[in-house]
Amino acid sequence: MKFVVCIKQVPATTAEKRYTSDLRLDRAAAESVINPLDEYAIEQALRLADAGSVDEVVYLSMGPDAASEALRRALAMGGDSAVLITDPALEGADEWATARVLAAALDRLAPDVALMGMASDDARGSLVPGAVAAMRGLPLLSYGAELSLADGAARIRRLTATGYDIVTAPLPLVASVTDQVGEPRYASLKGIMAAKRKPLETWSLADLGLQGEQLQGAALTRVVEARPPEAKPPTQRIENVSAEDAAAQVADWLAARKLI
Amino acid sequence: MSNDIAFLAEFIDGAPTRGALELAAGAVALAGQSGGDAVALAYGPGAAAGAAGLGAHGAARAVVLSDAKAPAIAAAAALVGALRGDAPLALLAAATPNGRDLAAAAVGAMNLPAFGPVRSVRVVEGRVQSEQATLQGSVVTTSEPTDAAATPAVVLVLPNTFTPAEGGSGTASVSQPQPADIGRLVEPTIVESHETEAAAANLEEATVIVAGGRGVQSEAGFEPLRELAAVMGGAVGASRAAADAGWIPYQLQIGQTGKVVKPALYIGAGISGAIQHRVGMQTAEHVVAINRDPDAPIGEFADLFVVGDLFAIIPKLTEEIRRRKGA
Ligand SMILES: Cc1cc2nc3c(=O)[nH]c(=O)nc-3n(C[C@H](O)[C@H](O)[C@H](O)COP(=O)(O)OP(=O)(O)OC[C@H]3O[C@@H](n4cnc5c(N)ncnc54)[C@H](O)[C@@H]3O)c2cc1C
Ligand SMILES: Nc1ncnc2c1ncn2[C@@H]1O[C@H](COP(=O)(O)O)[C@@H](O)[C@H]1O
Repeated sequence: MKFVVCIKQVPATTAEKRYTSDLRLDRAAAESVINPLDEYAIEQALRLADAGSVDEVVYLSMGPDAASEALRRALAMGGDSAVLITDPALEGADEWATARVLAAALDRLAPDVALMGMASDDARGSLVPGAVAAMRGLPLLSYGAELSLADGAARIRRLTATGYDIVTAPLPLVASVTDQVGEPRYASLKGIMAAKRKPLETWSLADLGLQGEQLQGAALTRVVEARPPEAKPPTQRIENVSAEDAAAQVADWLAARKLI
Repeated sequence: MSNDIAFLAEFIDGAPTRGALELAAGAVALAGQSGGDAVALAYGPGAAAGAAGLGAHGAARAVVLSDAKAPAIAAAAALVGALRGDAPLALLAAATPNGRDLAAAAVGAMNLPAFGPVRSVRVVEGRVQSEQATLQGSVVTTSEPTDAAATPAVVLVLPNTFTPAEGGSGTASVSQPQPADIGRLVEPTIVESHETEAAAANLEEATVIVAGGRGVQSEAGFEPLRELAAVMGGAVGASRAAADAGWIPYQLQIGQTGKVVKPALYIGAGISGAIQHRVGMQTAEHVVAINRDPDAPIGEFADLFVVGDLFAIIPKLTEEIRRRKGA
């Protein structure tokens, strides 16, 4: 049973974001981390490996050279090997291009389960798992609060408005999991040392047999304008007053805005 | 390619979701700009019987993708079948798990440009332009499809971006698409369904939300919040800390991994305002925070910040509002 966990390197959630003069994120300036939501996918794969139901865990990332750091960090948590897809032609890749590249790499790695996080932290659309599944013609089990394996199939628990469903599909397939699978483990010192010796390969687009024109310049979308968000009016504060007075002042504030 | 604007209309238990009606309003507005029709792509239990009724919300035509209780992704073959041929200019999808699954299927199966979740969207000289806040809201970008991109442009839309039209009439002409062969994508099936929560008010539909966090301290601690929500005709929400503690179901969690809400008024009590919570509520029109820590991060972005004990202030506020309403 082979899992490939797709992880993205992103600027740290709380990092101060800085922009270049053309309002593109200065990625070099922001501290980079494994997309926090992908750590849950890693954790889910490693729990299944710990339980003996998964034999091999491979990490796959598309990104700049520096994204190999994210792969090493994942390998320090556990798992066997990693593949980084990096190519100058991929700069500015959108969701479609990202999915196209990951789908091509997954075709080669041929896992039973390609496991992803529920979304990229840098506010993408949670579209990559479904797009990859559609491109590969494989079933999609998305937003699993838990993923398990049995009899050549995988099943997930997926929340609904009033409870949850158990959804299942035959392997091989593509799945994504949420932050409810359990808190991601920390890398141990031993894990960090072991990670240095685990295989990490780098593939280019040519290695994947993807020509530049098949990727449409890495995007079907273009940014026509970027600007800082509107400044919010300053916060009004109510403090050092009794609960009665605070309640009356809040009610006045709400009434002035026709909210009550 | 046509100038039509398609939208995914989810049905639950025989009725369209509020999200479907919001998208209908959005599609009507965009179709006015593009010179085409609003076309509903209806899926979920009751879609077949209810599709024609979407005409009252402005849909000229309705295509029924599925009618059964099944994973949303099972409707993907019908969706791709419906979009092929005379492809619409844009496909609007709700930024919910089901909406995203179908949007992603279209993107992957048809190689389409994807946008959003958007703050606003418009058609300018035949181009679909989307505005979105990215990187935890630190930059706002406007994007459009490249010249080479196929149609439709797939646009994810947050709840409460459009307001459903009231009191319309008319019926949409209904058809069934020829499903496309898109392989095994549609194979997932629901093998068990569990009802664990009393049908809680749908957070995404609420115009007033009173949210509680770790500061609420217990399941019973949510009671004063429920009373405040009740006098304001609103719903109760929570931070992940409160959901993780088991005080409130995960269905009511707001934030990056919970619901993204856009109410007219959000009141946060005993919530510190972590970035992962903030991304779920920062587009609320008005934000009021009640926190006993004068330095809580939520105080930096709330419109009104009340420093004090939520257990002292909330019951008084409920009383005060009740009194003013009675007067
Ligand atoms: C990958 C990931 C995803 C996440 N997704 C989400 C998400 O979707 N939603 C989410 O909410 N969080 C999410 N989190 C968690 C988030 O980082 C915070 O830990 C969480 O939001 C904190 O919840 P809180 O504000 O209720 O608790 P705390 O941060 O502990 O804050 C409690 C606040 O209550 C105040 N307080 C205590 N008692 C009182 C009182 N009597 N009266 C008034 N105020 C009082 C305190 O001053 C404090 O500010 C996520 C985290 C990660 C890593
Ligand atoms: N560049 C990437 N490399 C590897 N995996 C990715 C990449 N981008 C997205 N993913 C995976 O797709 C999931 C959803 O991302 P997104 O659709 O961008 O919100 C993430 O949680 C990752 O598991």
